[in-house]
Amino acid sequence: MHSSNTQNPLVPGIVEVVKIIDETPDVKNFYVRCVDGGVPFNVMPGQLAMVSLVPVGEAMFSVSWQEENDHLEFAIKRVGLMTDELHRIEVGQKLGVRGPYGNGFPVEACKGKDMLFIGGGIGLAPLRSFIKYCFKHREDYGKITILYGSRTSADLCFKDELFDKWPKEKDTQVYVTIDNPEEGWDGHVGFVPAYLEELKPNPEGTIAVICGPPIMIKFCLQSLEKMGFNDEQVITTLEMRMKCGIGKCGRCNIGHEYICLDGPVFNLAQLKQLPPEW
Amino acid sequence: MNYTEKIREIAARLLENGQVDMVMAWEKGDLEYQTIPFIARTVDEVSRIVCDEYSIHNLSNYLLRYRDGKEKIAIVVKGCDSRGIVRLLEDNQIARDRLYIIGITCDGVKDPLRAMRQHSGFEKVEKPEDGLAAKCLDCRQPNPVIYDELLGEEQTPRGGEDRFARIAEIEQMSADERYKFFESLFSTCIRCYACRQACVACNCRTCIFDETRPQWVGRETSISDNFMYHLVRASHMAGRCVECGECERVCPVNIPLMLVNRKLIKDVNEFFGPYEAGMEYVEGRKPPLSVYRENDPDDFL
Amino acid sequence: MKVLKFGKIEQVLDRLAQQAEVYVPMLRGQQTGFYSWNTYDEGYDDLMFDILNVYQSPKHVILPQTEMMYRFRQEGQDVIIDAEAQEITPKIIMGIRSCDVRGIEHLDAVFLTKGYVDEFYKARRDKITIIANACYNPGTNCFCASMGVNPTDPEAADIIMREVEVGYVWDVKTEKGQAVTKQIEDLLEEEEVELFPLKRFLRKVDYEGVAEKLKDMFDDPMWEKYSEPCQTCGICTYLCPTCYCFDIQVKTWGEEGYRFRCWDSCMYREYTQMAGGHNPREAAKERFRNRFLHKLQFFTERYGQPLCTGCGRCVVVCPGGVNIIKIIDTVKEAKTGA
Repeated sequence: MHSSNTQNPLVPGIVEVVKIIDETPDVKNFYVRCVDGGVPFNVMPGQLAMVSLVPVGEAMFSVSWQEENDHLEFAIKRVGLMTDELHRIEVGQKLGVRGPYGNGFPVEACKGKDMLFIGGGIGLAPLRSFIKYCFKHREDYGKITILYGSRTSADLCFKDELFDKWPKEKDTQVYVTIDNPEEGWDGHVGFVPAYLEELKPNPEGTIAVICGPPIMIKFCLQSLEKMGFNDEQVITTLEMRMKCGIGKCGRCNIGHEYICLDGPVFNLAQLKQLPPEW
Repeated sequence: MNYTEKIREIAARLLENGQVDMVMAWEKGDLEYQTIPFIARTVDEVSRIVCDEYSIHNLSNYLLRYRDGKEKIAIVVKGCDSRGIVRLLEDNQIARDRLYIIGITCDGVKDPLRAMRQHSGFEKVEKPEDGLAAKCLDCRQPNPVIYDELLGEEQTPRGGEDRFARIAEIEQMSADERYKFFESLFSTCIRCYACRQACVACNCRTCIFDETRPQWVGRETSISDNFMYHLVRASHMAGRCVECGECERVCPVNIPLMLVNRKLIKDVNEFFGPYEAGMEYVEGRKPPLSVYRENDPDDFL
Repeated sequence: MKVLKFGKIEQVLDRLAQQAEVYVPMLRGQQTGFYSWNTYDEGYDDLMFDILNVYQSPKHVILPQTEMMYRFRQEGQDVIIDAEAQEITPKIIMGIRSCDVRGIEHLDAVFLTKGYVDEFYKARRDKITIIANACYNPGTNCFCASMGVNPTDPEAADIIMREVEVGYVWDVKTEKGQAVTKQIEDLLEEEEVELFPLKRFLRKVDYEGVAEKLKDMFDDPMWEKYSEPCQTCGICTYLCPTCYCFDIQVKTWGEEGYRFRCWDSCMYREYTQMAGGHNPREAAKERFRNRFLHKLQFFTERYGQPLCTGCGRCVVVCPGGVNIIKIIDTVKEAKTGA
C-alpha cells in the first residue's frame, strides 16, 4: 500500500482543491483531484491520508469519501494551526497528499449484516465513507441505522445527506440529536449515548460502527455492551497524533499497535487487548 | 551531611498525625553514590527516607506536579532549594499553607550524577572525584531562607569572592569572539530540555518551546534554533533564577548554563537592584521583571 | 590473523577517510560521542577506542537528529516539491560496541520492515559499513548479555576489531567489510595473537518472560512509584542507541522552505498532544510507562526482541536515577501475571 505517486512514502504528491463546501462554522469539506485529473490513489472506507498545506504543515485525516476516479473528499474541522490555515484556502490551491494509510473498515466482513452507525461531531467524516459505501452496494447490506449528534444544530455535518438523501435510501433510518435545546430545533435533544439507550437497537445480526470524541465512544461502547452487542459486533475508528503514517515515527501507538498501520479501525475485542490510552 | 534519622522522625510524626499527605525527600538507589528523589506517603515508607551527602536534587521542582491538588506536602530543602520554594510562592504556583518546609543547613553535597558517570566506564578518569559537587563550590546560600522546622547548624557560604569574574571576562570579548564562544557552547545542545525540566523557575504550564500555535521556536538542532532556545530560556530566568545549579548539573553535554544565568543575575542586580532572587518570601512581592514601573531603566535596550 | 597495530590506527583512519566519512569515538571538549575523523582536531579531541563506550551513541550517523527531507516552493496557489534525493557519502562507523550495533539492528527492523521501507534511512544505511570494537570488559552498568547481545560478536558488524596486547585483530565478516579492508590491507600485519577472555558482567537482569508478564501490569503501582523521580526530560531517549521516534516539521521562509524530521521524545507532553486538545498520554506517569512498555513489551511483541540493548547509558545519565534494570527486576519478581 505504498503511496502511488512517489517512490518515497514520506514525500507527498500534489493535488488540487477543486471544491470547498462549508459544512458547519468550523468544518469544511475539501474535494481534491490530481492536477491532470483522477484521484491520487484508491482509498477504502475508513482509510487515512496525510494532507499537507505544504509550507504550513502536514496532518492525518480520514478520507470521508472517494468519488470513483474523480476526487477524494476530506471533511476537516478547524482545530489547530494547520487546519486554521486550511480553512483559509480557496479553490485552485495545491495540496500535498500521501497515503492511503491504515486498515479501513471491514466492508467485506460486514456484508449481509444490519449496520448501525453512531457518530458525534466531526466523527461522522470517517463513518460517511462507510455509509456511502453501503448505499453504493446497497444489496450487500441489511437495514441501515444512522445515529448522529453534535453540540448544536449548526455543528451538524453533511446536512443535505443527513436530512434529505440518506433517509430516502431503502431500509434506512436516520436519527439526529443535539446536546442542548435550541430555538427552531424540533428534533431530538440529548447526548448520543443517551439517545442510543433510548433507541435500543437490536444486536441480532447487527454491526455497530462508532466514531466521535473519545468520551462519546467510551460511553457508547458501554451502552452497546449492555444491550447485548458482543465485542466482535462493535467497531470503532480511533484518532491519535500522527507524523509519518507508516509505522515508524512512534507516537500513534496504543500498546504494540500503531493507529496508522494496524488501525485506525478496531473492533471492541481488539480494543480490549490494548491499554486504554486513546 | 546526614539528616536521615531526624527527617524520618519528622516524617513519621507528620504522616501519623495527618498533618501532611506526603513527604518529599530522598531514598537510596542501587549504588552507594546514588540517592534519588522519593516521596513517602505512609508511615511504613518512612524507613526508606534518606538525607545524605548525595541528596543534591532541588526537590522544590517536584512540587509543580501537585500545584493543582489539595495535598499537604512536607518537603526537605537545603539552603539553595529553599529559594526555589520562594520562587514557587512568588509565582503563585503553590499556597504556603499546603507546605510543611523542613529546612536543612547544608555543608555541601556530592553529585550522584558525576559519580555515576565517573564510575560508568564512559569517562576516562584516573580516580573518581569524591569532593563536593561543582555547584556547591559556588554556594551562595547554605542556610534555608524559608522553613517551618530547621535542622542543623548555621553554615557559611562557600562561594568564591566574585561569582561574576568569568562574566566580566566574557563581557570584555569582542562581539565576534563572544559569538564564537556561545556558538561553541550551544552547538552541542541536543535539545533534551533537561535544563528546563530540572528548573523550578521553569514553571509555565505550557512552555513556549512546546507551544505549537504558533510554534515560536523551531525544532531543528541547528545553531540558530539552539541559540533561540538558550536565549529565550535565559531571558526567562532574568531575576528569577535562584542559583540552585540544577540545570547545569543535569545537562548531559556539559553546557555551562549557570554562566548564562549569572550574566542575567548580574544585569538584573545592576539595573534593577540590589536584587537577589528568592532570598526572602514577602507575600505579594514579585521579581523586578514581573512588575512594570514607569521609572524602570531601559537604557540597555 | 590480521592485526591492526596500535601505531597504525591513525594511518588506517586517514586512508579510510579518503573514501568515506569515518565516525570514531572521541572525547571532544567535555563530550564523548562519534565524530567524523575529518573533523578531528589533535589539540581539542581525543580518540577513544580504549574506553568502554561514549555517551552519545552513533545512532545519529544513521538517523541524524535533524534531517532535511525535501524542499518546496510556493507560487501563488501552486506548490512545487523538490524531492530529489541528496547525494549520500559512504560512511564507516568504527569502534562501535556490540550494544550499539544491536541498536542499529533495531533501527533496521523499524525503518526497513513491516510494510514500508523508509527511503531516507535506507539510502544512508546501504552506504554504512560497521567496524565494531568487540567488548571484553563490561562496565558497571552494562547488561547487554542479559538483553541477548553478544558483546564480542555483534551480528550486524561488517568487521570486528578485537583488542589484543599489540593492537586489534581485524576480523572481516561481510563483503562490505572485505571491500573496506582492501583499502588498508597493506597496513595490517599477519600475526598469531591471543584474544582476551570476556570478563564477568557486574550487572545482570533476567528478561525471560518479562514481556508476557507486563501484559498484566499496565495498572501496576510500580509505574506511579518509579516515575516519581523522572523529570520527563529527553536525556534517556536521546542518548539511547535504540530510541528512534521522530517528528516531522517544516521550515518556511517567504515562498520557500523545507520539510525535515528530527528526533522526538515520548517523554515530552507534546509528543501525543492532538490539535483538538485531547492527549491520550498527558500525565508524566503515562508517558513514562509507555516508554518502558515500548522497550520491554510492545517492541518485543512487534519485532521479537526488546528495544533495549543493555548499554546502560540511561541508567548512568538519568538526573532522577530512573533505572531500567530495577524495572525489569520488579517485573520479574512481581506476583501478578503469568
